[in-house]
Amino acid sequence: MLQRSYPLLFVIFLFVAGFVSCDTFLTKEPELGETFDQPLHGLTRAQQLAFARGDEAFGKVFSIREGLGPIFNQASCESCHSGDGKGHPRTNLIRFGRNVGGAFDPLYDEGGPQLQERSIPGLVPETIPAHANAISIRSGPVVFGLGLLEAIPDSVILRHADPTDRNNDGISGRPNMVMPPDWLDVPRRPHVGRFGRKASVAFLLQQVVNAYHQDMGITSEFLPTENPHPQYGTLGDDVPDPEISRATIEDVVAYLRLLAPPKRGPITPQVERGERVFTQIGCATCHVPSMKTGKHPTIVALSEVEVPLYSDLLLHDMGPQLADAVVEGEASGSEWRTTPLWGLRLLADHLGGTPFYLHDGRTSDLREVIQFHGGEAAQTRLRFFALSKEDQEALLAFLLSL
Amino acid sequence: MRLLRRVCIIRMLLATLSVASGQDVRVSSADTTVRIQQPLVRGGYFDKPFITRPFGRTAIGGYLEAIARFERTEGVTEAVSFEARRFNVFTHSVLAEQLRVAAELEFEHGTEEIKLEFAFLDFEIHPALNFRGGILLSPIGKFNLAHDSPLNNLTERPLVSTQIIPTALSEAGMGFYGAFYPSIGSRVTYEIYLVNGLHDGVVTNAEGTRLAEGRGLFEGDNNPLPSVVGRIAYSPSVALEVGASLHTGPYNRYKVDAFEIDERRMLTMAALDWEYRHDDIELLGEYVIAGIDVPPALHGVYADRQRGIYAQLNYHLGRGWISLLPRSKFTLVGRYDIADFDARLQGDATQRVSVGLNFRPVEDTVFKLDYNYHWHWNRVNVVERSVGINLSVASYF
Ligand code: HEC
Ligand code: HEC
Repeated sequence: MLQRSYPLLFVIFLFVAGFVSCDTFLTKEPELGETFDQPLHGLTRAQQLAFARGDEAFGKVFSIREGLGPIFNQASCESCHSGDGKGHPRTNLIRFGRNVGGAFDPLYDEGGPQLQERSIPGLVPETIPAHANAISIRSGPVVFGLGLLEAIPDSVILRHADPTDRNNDGISGRPNMVMPPDWLDVPRRPHVGRFGRKASVAFLLQQVVNAYHQDMGITSEFLPTENPHPQYGTLGDDVPDPEISRATIEDVVAYLRLLAPPKRGPITPQVERGERVFTQIGCATCHVPSMKTGKHPTIVALSEVEVPLYSDLLLHDMGPQLADAVVEGEASGSEWRTTPLWGLRLLADHLGGTPFYLHDGRTSDLREVIQFHGGEAAQTRLRFFALSKEDQEALLAFLLSL
Repeated sequence: MRLLRRVCIIRMLLATLSVASGQDVRVSSADTTVRIQQPLVRGGYFDKPFITRPFGRTAIGGYLEAIARFERTEGVTEAVSFEARRFNVFTHSVLAEQLRVAAELEFEHGTEEIKLEFAFLDFEIHPALNFRGGILLSPIGKFNLAHDSPLNNLTERPLVSTQIIPTALSEAGMGFYGAFYPSIGSRVTYEIYLVNGLHDGVVTNAEGTRLAEGRGLFEGDNNPLPSVVGRIAYSPSVALEVGASLHTGPYNRYKVDAFEIDERRMLTMAALDWEYRHDDIELLGEYVIAGIDVPPALHGVYADRQRGIYAQLNYHLGRGWISLLPRSKFTLVGRYDIADFDARLQGDATQRVSVGLNFRPVEDTVFKLDYNYHWHWNRVNVVERSVGINLSVASYF
């Protein structure tokens, strides 16, 4: 009776066996170190748990019912830091202010320093005041490896600073020394800023609390009142404050702290040559290949390790083409933090195929990126374009191996 | 002893019946005589027509669905689990030749979600003109009207019909339906209703614009204007049916008492569906486009245009291969599926390819084995892949 269905049983067997045995049909796990969203090695169970919870919170999209707004930029961290990578220019945010007689006014009473161009229904989004004369467009930077950045002692960063250019190389990095806000439980003295495009934030906790508050309109115990619209207040957001718990904030901080940098791509002879050129022409003066963390009390993976960040975390005057006229802490309108170059080879993969370099994602062409390097980097730029074609190619190959 | 108990039960039954029918009946026993002239409560339970009028005109049926599922995303196995997905009960009552009441009560995931999927009264004025009122299945796309799991040859419903048209979409409303026969063998059917429409949930939820989040206005409309939903289907022969449908109306709360609190914002879905059956082959599909008037302050986060399509091929074979089950058959299924959550954006979409093999021991019961490969693009067009293998059973009863 069943004989006639043998062929069919065979088909079923193939169906099941085929799928169970084959990665193509069952999807492949990304390789270790090939994405931005992987944890550091050697975490404890508790740290892994915090990482998993923070991961979820970082990806969580807030609804209006859950407290998004009243005014906001985007509804989740992930939307501006895609896969823990950079933001797409579509999600860029705008900072603004006004320069009068050599002083910068962040226009607090008119919605500054950050524009929230969205609002919940019934409310009006902010607009840039007509007399604002400093407008800065920012895309979200990558957020992996931040625990490592945080664990580099101030003194190690300051060793690379040369504010008066004593060595006469035209490059004078200086730290953005920032006072922590009152609500942060840290010593009340200036600290070396390291987060943000202008290094205006010294602590991850501060960055995360601010992101929730400013970018998404989500209040927490640390900043428990809504960011109001300068004219219309906070009408419409009826969700009781704080809108997220302290635990959530702490999970997200832990998550960012424990995110590992990706590993290097293949190191070919061309890449090695590129690396030599990178140092020779002065790129490495700002894009410092490595710094060492101090002793970390709780996380072994952050303790006394070399951090291959390719940045000095210092501010540099990058010339008029990149200048935005916005002042943040000690950073002037033409100064920017040296962007860490780690993970450069994978930026595009995390943005649907286009890397969108520089603070506003204005270009996806590495030669153009170098072309935009002015100010303190002008000499280096000249040296790059004076290189032989092979050396230029090698340098770009090196960048895309990071 | 047992005999005695039986007598008692019969007596009780008789008593209930007589109370129920409100008739004057004498029940006598050795020691008492009970005389009942009135129902216990006039209009109360025992006085309800389903008890007092002749029996046998309400039919009860339903279907159930259970699934064993394997899921894997980007190489990480997410689930090997069992799901008690649905247990639905239908009732159908014929009150008179022209009057019917039908309902479906759905229990999803055990008793986690209990929903009255539809409950309406039909009154036939003419075969071409029937009144329908109550909670009705919105005639937007064919799948929303005929989505029972035993009918569906794959475990999962099409993405268009869940992610864009939020099947099952049922709404409170009233209207008409009917059929015309332009020539022998051909038929035109229509349904058109005024309904409450969707609500602000479409853009106040966390997922982005999601029509499913705007369902559920059963107790009243959130604005002064109803929505219109209608479908017209043409079938030149039994083998083919093509349908076009539209759902349109305001979705937001723009007026509170006499105060205008917002602009009036419209939501429109338009769908095209097709179904072709010939011998052992069936081709089905649906195309949907939705336009949502999103508040300007939410542009860039909530999409104002969505669309999707699915196309499916069913091939029946092996009828009677199993001689003990002469009505049994197998079905090979293939489906392509895409839902684009933001038609103005490269990204924010989900696409799926599914293949499956079913076995129906009888027409109303089906065992399904299927595999699907799923691509999900986020808003910056980064793709995440996942697969699912389902073994499921669904049956009418
Ligand atoms: C609207 C887009 C947007 C959203 C939403 C957003 N960010 Fe950011 N993020 C940015 C931008 C732009 C910067 C750079 C800011 C600057 O220049 O000061 C940044 C910087 C950061 C940094 C510093 C990284 C570095 O290397 O300097 C961290 C950490 C961070 N964001 C975390 C978060 C977290 C956590 C959330 C969610 C709570 C979040 N962001 C939400 C756009 C966004
Ligand atoms: C004076 C310090 C300095 C020097 C020298 C320098 N850079 Fe930079 N670099 C920066 C700063 C600051 C930025 C961020 C500028 C911005 O985003 O506006 C940057 C950005 C970049 C970026 C973009 C990274 C991203 O993800 O957006 C690349 C690539 C880069 N530099 C490569 C180089 C190369 C190659 C050289 C040598 C030819 C070089 N830089 C020399 C300071 C420097």
